[in-house]
Amino acid sequence: MKIRSITLTNVRRFTDSARISGISDGLNLLCEPNEHGKSTLFDAIQALFFIPHGSRKKEVTSLQPHAGGAPEVSMEVDTPDGLFRLSKRWLKKPAATVHRGTGLVAQSDAAEAWIADLLGRDSGGPSGLIWVRQGLTGLLEATEAERKLSLDARRDLMSSVGHEVEAMTGGRRMDAALRQCREELAALATGTGRPKVGGPWKTAQDEVERLEAERETLAATARDLQEALTARARARRELAEWEDPDAVASRQTALEAARSAHAAAQRHAETIDSQARTVDLARLKAQAAQARLAELNAARDEQTAARQELSAADTKARTALHARTEAQAARDTAQARLDQAEANAAKAEALRNAAQQAQAARDGADRRTDLTHRIVQAEEARRAMETAAAGRIGPDAASLRRIDTLAGALATARAARDATVTQVVAHYTPGREGTIRAGGAALPDGHPVPLPRVMRLDLDGIGQLEVCPGDTVHDDSSVDAADRALRAALTDAGVADVDGARTAAATRAKAEQAHDQAKAVLNSLAPDGIEVLRSTLARIPVLDSQDEAPDPAAAETALAKARTLRDTARAARDSAAERLADARDMATRAEAARDALADRLRRADETLAAFGSATLDSLAIETAQSAAALAEAETAHATLTRDAPDLASTGAALTRAESVQQRAQDEIAGLRPLLARLDERITRSFGDAVEERLAETEQELAAARAALSRVLHEVAVLQRLEQALDAARSQARDRYFAPIVQELKPLLRLLWPEADLTWGEESLLPEVLIREGREEPIDILSGGTQEQVALLVRLAFARMLARSGRAAPVILDDALVFSDDDRIERMFDALHRQAGDLQIIVLSCRQRAFRSLGGTALRLLHMAPETTG
Amino acid sequence: MSFRFIHSSDLHIGRRFANIPEAADGNIRGRLMEARHGALSRLAQAARDHGAAHVLLAGDTFDTATPSPGVIRHALATMGEDPAITWWILPGNHDNLRDAEPLWDTIRADAPANIRAVTIAAPLKMDETAVLLPCPVAFRASASDPTEPLATLPSGDGQLRIALAHGGVTDFTESGAAIAPDRDRSARLDYLALGDWHGRRAISDRVHYSGTPEQDRFKHGARGVCLAVAIDAPGATPRIEEVETGQFHWDTRAVPLTSGQDAAEALAAVLPGAARRDILLRIEASGWAGLPARAALQEAAARAAPDFAHFELLTAQLGTLYDTTDLDDIDTGGALRIAAETLLNDAESDDLSQDDRQVAGDALARLYAYVRGGME
Repeated sequence: MKIRSITLTNVRRFTDSARISGISDGLNLLCEPNEHGKSTLFDAIQALFFIPHGSRKKEVTSLQPHAGGAPEVSMEVDTPDGLFRLSKRWLKKPAATVHRGTGLVAQSDAAEAWIADLLGRDSGGPSGLIWVRQGLTGLLEATEAERKLSLDARRDLMSSVGHEVEAMTGGRRMDAALRQCREELAALATGTGRPKVGGPWKTAQDEVERLEAERETLAATARDLQEALTARARARRELAEWEDPDAVASRQTALEAARSAHAAAQRHAETIDSQARTVDLARLKAQAAQARLAELNAARDEQTAARQELSAADTKARTALHARTEAQAARDTAQARLDQAEANAAKAEALRNAAQQAQAARDGADRRTDLTHRIVQAEEARRAMETAAAGRIGPDAASLRRIDTLAGALATARAARDATVTQVVAHYTPGREGTIRAGGAALPDGHPVPLPRVMRLDLDGIGQLEVCPGDTVHDDSSVDAADRALRAALTDAGVADVDGARTAAATRAKAEQAHDQAKAVLNSLAPDGIEVLRSTLARIPVLDSQDEAPDPAAAETALAKARTLRDTARAARDSAAERLADARDMATRAEAARDALADRLRRADETLAAFGSATLDSLAIETAQSAAALAEAETAHATLTRDAPDLASTGAALTRAESVQQRAQDEIAGLRPLLARLDERITRSFGDAVEERLAETEQELAAARAALSRVLHEVAVLQRLEQALDAARSQARDRYFAPIVQELKPLLRLLWPEADLTWGEESLLPEVLIREGREEPIDILSGGTQEQVALLVRLAFARMLARSGRAAPVILDDALVFSDDDRIERMFDALHRQAGDLQIIVLSCRQRAFRSLGGTALRLLHMAPETTG
Repeated sequence: MSFRFIHSSDLHIGRRFANIPEAADGNIRGRLMEARHGALSRLAQAARDHGAAHVLLAGDTFDTATPSPGVIRHALATMGEDPAITWWILPGNHDNLRDAEPLWDTIRADAPANIRAVTIAAPLKMDETAVLLPCPVAFRASASDPTEPLATLPSGDGQLRIALAHGGVTDFTESGAAIAPDRDRSARLDYLALGDWHGRRAISDRVHYSGTPEQDRFKHGARGVCLAVAIDAPGATPRIEEVETGQFHWDTRAVPLTSGQDAAEALAAVLPGAARRDILLRIEASGWAGLPARAALQEAAARAAPDFAHFELLTAQLGTLYDTTDLDDIDTGGALRIAAETLLNDAESDDLSQDDRQVAGDALARLYAYVRGGME
């Protein structure tokens, strides 16, 4: 099929008619600026081919001009059967016609069918035309529907390229089988092989699970029911046993028998008690009689004994009293003797002491004299010491040595001065010595006298001669200093001059010596001081009286004798006192014993008196009688005891009978409500027909399991089949893609030498572009490259179509917008290469870029409205 | 004047048949349930037809120990319709005394006077000439012979001893129940009416299973019957007549196929002609068939199935023959042929499990069906 002309009427901006004619074989180019209706043309061609004339869909209304009206498109196509004119008109008076020359070939639905047939009836896709939309870069179409349609078209095309390939891949039969298999599988399972929600598999699975759960519930309820039935049967049996009239009567009889036996036993026990009390009474009486008899006997014996003993005790008391009186007298005598002896001893001791005193006084008289003398001497020495101490004034040896030294120094200083100063030497006329005086002192004869300063000499009788030493330089300072020091030392020593000092010093030394001597004397007389001597003196007794002192030895002897006598008397007195105390004790005891016995006798008398008229004989008779009565009572009690029933046994028997009765009542009282509850449970479960439903559920479960197993088998079968088909087709895939690869290869080489494409099995589109060994997925390639690959692939498919005898025009609407000029040139080459046996119509607004494309240039011509017909 | 009665058992009233698939517009389960209830009326009719005043039901009258109240009431009402007929109902293992105690309580309390629940193993006077010796089943499963007490149950001089029991007989079942097959002799019985076995079965002259009056499974191959029994005198051999009471026929038909046989034709040959609505049909295909024959058999079965109350085709015993022409039908070469041959290899492989072989074989059959369907 080749398009020859296209006419649009009332299509969008073409409110009148517009026409393209003269479309040639090979490459055609309609190059118009934007907004000149290229896309309108494109849409119109699509509408003519694919939109039924009766349609009122959006695609149709979008073709209407603003002013409204019925869009109309017609086209002349060249087919192997000749030239046909196809026309369609939509919305108002919709029509579709196919003319051959002037003859009407088909119209309305027949015309639609004719067009569909022309495009490739059996595919349903746009296999008759290869479209490249404006700005389309990818291989995939914009919408899902288009994509699917396009995929079907490619598959159809490739599957029908050649018989051999078709046979190889199974072609449409394979596709149909696989599709059917997958559809059936998809109804059951998800893509990952899990049960599909809402599908039969999932439903069967859920049903099995539901029924299993239900069966469990029902089985549990059924078990409950059975348990309740068992429990009820047991309870009923037990209740019947408890309520059995024979059992009730027998329990009652037993209870009554036990009661009466126990009552009899209790009465008997009371009788025994009473008899026991009688026995006790008799025993008391017998014992009392016996005791009274014994008491009488004892009282008589006591009286006799007490009387005898009292008599003896009385004698004994009298003897003791006598002994005491004697002892008293003896003691008094010894006491008197002792008093005398003691007085004698005291007197002897006083005498002895006086003798000793006198002897001591005599012994101390010489020492008293000596001491008194020594004290006097010592006091003298002390006075001497004090006198010496008072004379111990004047310089001591050290001060004297210092004064001597200073005096020496002064002399030295004077000598040194005198050697340099003016000297006068008096040479007296004999006899006149000492008539020259200086300052009161006469000038010595023949001895130079220095004149340190102006000195007035008294010349006796003559007057005064003043000697001036002149202006010679001399120094008196050292003499003065020495003189001052000497005077200071002298003043300190309290003396007037050096000689005085010597004299004072000598006096002092003498005083000191006297002091030391006195001290030595004192020390020898009273080394410990005079006071010690005085106290020693005071201690020496002084003979007071001048009486004659007794002899100490004789006094001593007398004293010893007196003491011995005193000690003897004391021992005698003590012994007597002891004897007296003993005798006194003895007497007291004897009296007490006698009094006690007197009491005893009196009591015995009273006891006997209490028996009154009773006699030993009468009491013995009474005793024998009471003993017999006791024996009789005891015998009666023993008989009763021996015959008594066991009260504990009858009591236990009664308790048991009562507990049996009580238990029966309790059991019955417990069983009745239990039965009522069980009845209720059973009735409820029974009304629910549990087992019936359980049986039904089990049947359903078995059926559901069978169904599930069938579904599982079905899934396995379908999966196995799908896998087998996939595997087989995969095997054939490489050969399957061979034709398109072969078609595409020379086109690809125009752009990229050595380039190759791999193909997707599902999409039937190139997936990876291999250039220089590098694999690049198509969808990451640049826009331009994607666009070029897309265009080349379409050209290849078109070529295959042509080979299969269904040549179709390739229409490119503003393709290659992303491609640079160099690539466009090469794409042009590709287009020209394909245009050898394909009709290609290029719509573009890029006038300059496409100027070099070549091919037949088309023009969109506006025409006056045509008369329809 | 002979003594006449009807012997039946295993009515299983209340059985719900949930295992029978039900078509969306069908009511087969309801019809099967109704047929079980209807057996009561047919038994009463059989009694009237044969001059019998007694119907002996040898256990399993009800399907479960707890039938729904409606089921019980309907059954009792139906039995009570003809007061001239006395129904002697024995507890079986399904409605045993222990589990179904409330059921028997209900029957004793509510049933019309002509219904006798025989729940105690003691002689019951049927009329002046006959005494009934029942062996009620106390538990669902018991290892002992329930008829053992029969030997010691007394009867009057000259009275017929007719025993009623439920369970299997020693010599033909391994189920554990153990009724001695010579019990009629050891207990001096004139007749031992047995239940439990759903098919009609005579053990001896005097010992019989009546089978269920309305079949409920593909096993016994005939419509249910009851036994009309007539005994002329003590010691006389009972005269037994089978009376058909079944409404539904659970029918199993074998279709043995051989290679090259027309499967559809073979199936058509065994299909029953009349009363298909009351027939539950099971076709057991066996032998060998090629892929086309299998497909044809399936199609023929699918065409015939809706006529019947229930229809199932079992092909587990049918082997598949793979012919090269069958594979050619799929494709003579190319991917489809490759797939078909792969599946065929798997289906016939000795290395694969039975399951995997089955799956592969069915997958091949499916592929065949697809391709054939595509061509048609």
